[in-house]
Amino acid sequence: MIMLSRVAERLYWMARYLERAEDTARLTKAYTHLIMDIPSVSQPGWDILVRILDAQAQFSEHHRACNEQNVLKFLVAEEDNPGSVHFCIRAARENVRTTRDVLPEEVWEHVNGLYLYSQEYAAKSVGRRNRHQFLDQVIARCQMISGLLMSTLCRDHAYRFIKLGALLERADMTTRIIDVGAGALLGNERLSTAVDPLIWAALLQSLSAMGTYRRTIGPLVEANTVVNFVFREPTLPRSVRFCLDGIRRELLPLKHHEAAIRVLDQSLQGLEQFDAETAERQQLHDFIDHFQLELNTLGNIISTTWFMSGVETSGVATSGVATSGAV
Amino acid sequence: MNSSWHNYSSHNAGRFFDEMITDAGSPRQAARHAVKLLQALSGPEMAARRGAAELAIREMGISFTIYSEGGNIDRAWPFDIIPRIIRDREWQKISRGLAQRSRALNCFINDIYNEQKILADGLLPADIVLDSGNYKPQCAGVTPRYGAWAHVCGTDLVRNRDGKFYVLEDNLRVPSGVSYMLENREITKRVLPELFKDYSILPVDDYPSRLYSTLASLSPRDRRRPCIVVLTPGIYNSAYFEHAYLAQGMGAELVEGSDLFVDADDCLYMRTVDGSERVDVVYRRIDDDFLDPEVFRKDSTLGIPGIMRAWKKGNVAIANAPGSGVADDKVVYAFVPAMIRYYLGEEPSLASVKTYLCMHQPDRDYVLANLDKLVVKPANESGGYGIMVGPHSSAAKRAEFARLIEANPRNYIAQPTLSLSTAPTFINDAVEPRHLDLRPFILQGRDTWVTPGGLTRVALVKGSLVVNSSQGGGSKDTWIVEDKS
Repeated sequence: MIMLSRVAERLYWMARYLERAEDTARLTKAYTHLIMDIPSVSQPGWDILVRILDAQAQFSEHHRACNEQNVLKFLVAEEDNPGSVHFCIRAARENVRTTRDVLPEEVWEHVNGLYLYSQEYAAKSVGRRNRHQFLDQVIARCQMISGLLMSTLCRDHAYRFIKLGALLERADMTTRIIDVGAGALLGNERLSTAVDPLIWAALLQSLSAMGTYRRTIGPLVEANTVVNFVFREPTLPRSVRFCLDGIRRELLPLKHHEAAIRVLDQSLQGLEQFDAETAERQQLHDFIDHFQLELNTLGNIISTTWFMSGVETSGVATSGVATSGAV
Repeated sequence: MNSSWHNYSSHNAGRFFDEMITDAGSPRQAARHAVKLLQALSGPEMAARRGAAELAIREMGISFTIYSEGGNIDRAWPFDIIPRIIRDREWQKISRGLAQRSRALNCFINDIYNEQKILADGLLPADIVLDSGNYKPQCAGVTPRYGAWAHVCGTDLVRNRDGKFYVLEDNLRVPSGVSYMLENREITKRVLPELFKDYSILPVDDYPSRLYSTLASLSPRDRRRPCIVVLTPGIYNSAYFEHAYLAQGMGAELVEGSDLFVDADDCLYMRTVDGSERVDVVYRRIDDDFLDPEVFRKDSTLGIPGIMRAWKKGNVAIANAPGSGVADDKVVYAFVPAMIRYYLGEEPSLASVKTYLCMHQPDRDYVLANLDKLVVKPANESGGYGIMVGPHSSAAKRAEFARLIEANPRNYIAQPTLSLSTAPTFINDAVEPRHLDLRPFILQGRDTWVTPGGLTRVALVKGSLVVNSSQGGGSKDTWIVEDKS
């Protein structure tokens, strides 16, 4: 089974963008809930969402005030922010358009349907009233597409690159979510011990991990335990460990995987050695920073090993579709 | 007869040949069953069938792309549900004529890029061929396998008032439309299944496998399954749907220029996740000028640097071969009957439109005396001059063209004005005659093969002769039917 590098790249980015759309929607939804639970004196600002995504520079190009309205517009509806839900959906659709021949026909129909939905409602869903329903719809539709891929795709290269894209994006987003709780972003002085558990619970919620946490660990939500759980629980589909294990499994059948596996194993080892139970918040933040750099490196290796990065002849439209616009 | 066919034959009033209805208003023999069945359908019933066809087109994702500033739009393919019916007995003769024409054209191209015997023998003036922009000197000295250059030829036919088919032009570069021919049959099967009961219709759906065999026969390496790719300019090309369709139909890879590269061994490779994979045959759907920036346009980002090198060394086959366009030139067209006699020693069995070459004194005198009856075309396409349609022209325009012809006779050809045939077409809620043409496809590799029928394009605008899909043209399913014993 031949798989063109360009097709593999587009499938990989389709999966990354779909995952990013879903994760951003999850994060935004969880954060909106959280804000409503926290007394206004100790309320963290909306700027955190921008900082989680390392998108401050991009944000300030278009907005001055970091208020709810602007941040939500930026995250949900903006046409040219590569992190916005709508942008991700559009980019995913463009990648599917050019790979329809290797995907089940329904994938195109659903991705196209999601795009049409987002095009109509994203801009109208910035306000709190419609926001919830829009985010729920995006999450549900993304899940439907993932489910469709899981249940119809042959386990060949196409499936492999889709998995790699989705898992890499998810690992990245999960660590960003932990980083919110890590206080380095929040600023310690703004946190009260009463608010802390609320934040961690909201973060667990955004990872669909609250139920599992309660059943596995217990009902008390504590910072270090949550971090440890979300980092290392091998059975939790959104844990970092789970994502890395999955990436490793998909890398192994590919030719020339040595460099990628090497970096991945470093990350796995780092994750094993990091002592989340005793770590200070600053240490946690530094670890996450370092970890994200490694994920970046892994992404670059995947790109140079199997895609055509560095090939100058690829058209503008093509690279515009596939390029990450690293958030 | 139901009201949607009311007054059908009075529209034409005998001015055009109608494919299904005689001047006297009765159905032609081959169309009898179909007309009877269609006339039994009420207007709303016809509209329901048309609705079903439109739904099928959307579901099957049959589209052509129009690029606009707001992004690219996929337009649904406009389709008329009433098929065009041609008797097999008549078609066989046309089919033989098309095959004959294709063989002669390929002999010509191969001759021009090698010995140039036809020029030495003075059958046509050398400068007409060699000074044309369609002649690519970079292709000289190459003989592709079987001497075949134009492996896929789309020849446009029209039926004149006299009921005879004439060749309007040969498209030897990157002819498109074949996927619509295939899809049209699929749609008709869905929406008018009862029509098929009374007819024995030649199937068209083996085209992708015929194309595969033709391309496979060109492979420089003898392998059980040569590596064949379809080279597309990309999603923004209006025929992208067809490129993807044919690639899927052949089980070939759909590639863009950036997927391919020529290595130090002068072989062509594609980039895959398992490393590079040697390519044997490229079915390219991009123009010569964009094929290889090392040889043709340097600013091309669609092509593959070095592919001409690989082709000239015989390491890869390109279909159609670069330079094939030298034979689809307006002046060269006039010499095709002579080519058939010269290369094949046969009489041409398919009529061409009489073409007057203004460079010849007697032709020129005739043209100047009959400007009001002729279509005058600039011979050199890159000249940028327009076409003059005599019967629709003003006296001032004719005077202007007379001056142009006198000043530069070599640059002009003229042809009699043809009247394109019509066929019943369902427009709004009535069946009316509309003009149409026919584009069969001829494959040329180790063997020659002609599609049974082809793509019928129909001008949906009343009285219009423009069948192009971007300008209000649609298409019809084309049936070649065997006479029932």
